[in-house]
Amino acid sequence: MMKQKDGKVNTMKNKKFLDSPFAVILCNLILFFLVYFVVISDYVVSLAIMAVVILAILLVNRYNLVNKIFDLYIRHKKTALISGLILGIIYPFSLTDNVYVAHIATLAVIYGIACLGLNFQMGSTDMTNFAPAAFMGIGAYSVAIASVNMGLSPWIGMLGGLVLSGVFGFLIGLPTLKTKGYYLSLVTMAIQLAFTELVRIWPYVGGDDGLSGVQRYKLFGFELYKRYTIFGIRMSPQIPYLLLCIAFLVLCTYIAMRVYFSRTGIAMNTVAQDEIAADCLGINVSRTKLFAFVIGGVYCGLAGTLFAGLEGYAGPATYNFQKSLMLICMVILGGMDNSIGVVLGAFILAIITEKLRDFADFQQLIYGAILVVMLIVRPDGIIPWRVRNHDLITKRKPKIIEKLGESTDIAAKAELKSEV
Amino acid sequence: MSRFGNLLMSAILCGCTYTLVAIGYCLFFGVLDVVVFCCGDIAIFGAFSITGAFTIIWSAGVFQAVPMIVAVLILLVVASILCAVLGLITYRISVKPFEKSSALMPLLSTIALGVVIKEVLGLIFQPVVNNIAKGVVRVDDPKTVVGGRNPQSMPQLIATGGSTLTRNLIIIIVVALILMALFFFLNKTKLGLSMQAISQNKELALMTGVNVKSCIRWTFIIGGVLLAIGGFLLGNYQTIIRFDGGTMYGTKGFAAAVVGGLKSTWGAVIGGMLLGFVEVFTAGLIPGGTKFQNVIAFIVVIIFIVFKPEGIIGEKVAEKV
Repeated sequence: MMKQKDGKVNTMKNKKFLDSPFAVILCNLILFFLVYFVVISDYVVSLAIMAVVILAILLVNRYNLVNKIFDLYIRHKKTALISGLILGIIYPFSLTDNVYVAHIATLAVIYGIACLGLNFQMGSTDMTNFAPAAFMGIGAYSVAIASVNMGLSPWIGMLGGLVLSGVFGFLIGLPTLKTKGYYLSLVTMAIQLAFTELVRIWPYVGGDDGLSGVQRYKLFGFELYKRYTIFGIRMSPQIPYLLLCIAFLVLCTYIAMRVYFSRTGIAMNTVAQDEIAADCLGINVSRTKLFAFVIGGVYCGLAGTLFAGLEGYAGPATYNFQKSLMLICMVILGGMDNSIGVVLGAFILAIITEKLRDFADFQQLIYGAILVVMLIVRPDGIIPWRVRNHDLITKRKPKIIEKLGESTDIAAKAELKSEV
Repeated sequence: MSRFGNLLMSAILCGCTYTLVAIGYCLFFGVLDVVVFCCGDIAIFGAFSITGAFTIIWSAGVFQAVPMIVAVLILLVVASILCAVLGLITYRISVKPFEKSSALMPLLSTIALGVVIKEVLGLIFQPVVNNIAKGVVRVDDPKTVVGGRNPQSMPQLIATGGSTLTRNLIIIIVVALILMALFFFLNKTKLGLSMQAISQNKELALMTGVNVKSCIRWTFIIGGVLLAIGGFLLGNYQTIIRFDGGTMYGTKGFAAAVVGGLKSTWGAVIGGMLLGFVEVFTAGLIPGGTKFQNVIAFIVVIIFIVFKPEGIIGEKVAEKV
């Protein structure tokens, strides 16, 4: 975090630094080391680092620096993506032999995917969905059923899980066309509770005990959950799997960003702001809502399939109402309607949860307390949503500025500038 | 016949417990237009505070000195005060800060507060009660308190030593009395009428001289007392209370309130009874239906929300632009 502050000082002196690809790489490096140290260190140290980082982000946000960094990333998309990918590939290998740490890292990535899905509903469209864990459960159970009960490859289970959770999302989405607000919350809550109960009493999926012995994923005969020795260093078994999850997370984030900046994303935000106004503007409200539910469901289903592959087990206790609350808590903590913020929130809470495993009794209390405090102190989350700025994405200079060059009237110039 | 009679009795009892929570939801929703979701947890808190107070008061020898009914009333007063305070805290922490923001914020916030109440109850119930008992009565080993995290046995305070039938009848009669008192309060007293006025139109009520702020506070106090009694009856009916029972209890209560119509108190009664009947009769009449007991309630709720979201009693409100 210190380095970022240095970067800020540099900007004061030399504005061009913030506009160079080196700043992007520097930011990526700082993020990389932060994540690395938080994951690898003891719980006291890691909690301390996280607290400092959160405070620093809140402080820096006051100077609008977070937004500037975002702009920077968007402007240097390619540099950011390539350096990020390289670091993302290095990251799993840096964890080496530490099985537990690798497990935490994988969990955090999977929760990140689930939270991205929940964000479509909660953040973008403002429909509080209390059933993300049920979607995750559908994904996980389809992998488990495919591999344990039917003896098929888990990849087929994953495909089936994605399709099923999409269909389930569509079905849940249907009542939302008629209801809103509390009623929608109650419907999703009822579905979540009913899901847990149904899974518990259905003997085919193992009832209370769940299905264990889920096959691990394999890629072209290359086992993704196995100890490998690379350059003489013994890796923990989750490393290849972690790579797979990171690949999925990057893909999901990319899609989420594309959706956010697309016409559908704007339509979703319009529906969130005012449904009647959106209807008047010619936005197909029901289509938009259904889209949010389906894509969110597929994301959560994907997270569930990955989760089942990691744990080798799918049981009713893993996908209950508490898990849903945890996911909601992650989204609110990170910042609604902001993909990066959501993933950040997922990382923070997942790591806190796992690091505090020794104090399992306090886990729920921590979620509850974080939610209560966050909602009062900072309902927008750590990194709140940004004002949309399309000129940055298209990278095209807005036409208005081109006109500006020809114009000689200074007053008009100033006026146009303020418009931009 | 006797089997059917038994089923009927337990259906009514189940409905009674849901009704009290549902009325809590209706009161809060009527006055504030927000769903206060930790009603179930407040009720469970009431049940736990009765258990704790029972341990302390019993050790102090009050039960041996005064008639049973007086001692039970003392317990109820203690629990009511605690629950009313908790209701006010709920209002301060999770409802008031979100007066101007989206209506879903207080919902989320109260759910989170419910989790906090539940977990704190599970964590500190035993040490706190033990220490108070030690400090007040100088008993070194109050044996009746098992940890809050375990299922806690509720002291049987209604019709002690009598049959379950007597106990059940007393519970039903108490609920009926409370309902009558509540309707008298809502329709005949000044405070109840002003609560109804606020429920219908807040600005107009403010203009006609209703003290909205104190009215809201009183609503939370009354709601807390109602929920405390609800928790007391629930504990006596189920004989065992769990610290995390509030989530299910609260969700079912909310479901009952929605089925009946969120704004009407009669609706809460009807919804609670309907839910109780559906649950008990599914478990009792359909073979193997016990498993589906919890699921069926939620399916009924989903059907109701999709096809009749305004509830059984409740007028359809067209959305204003």
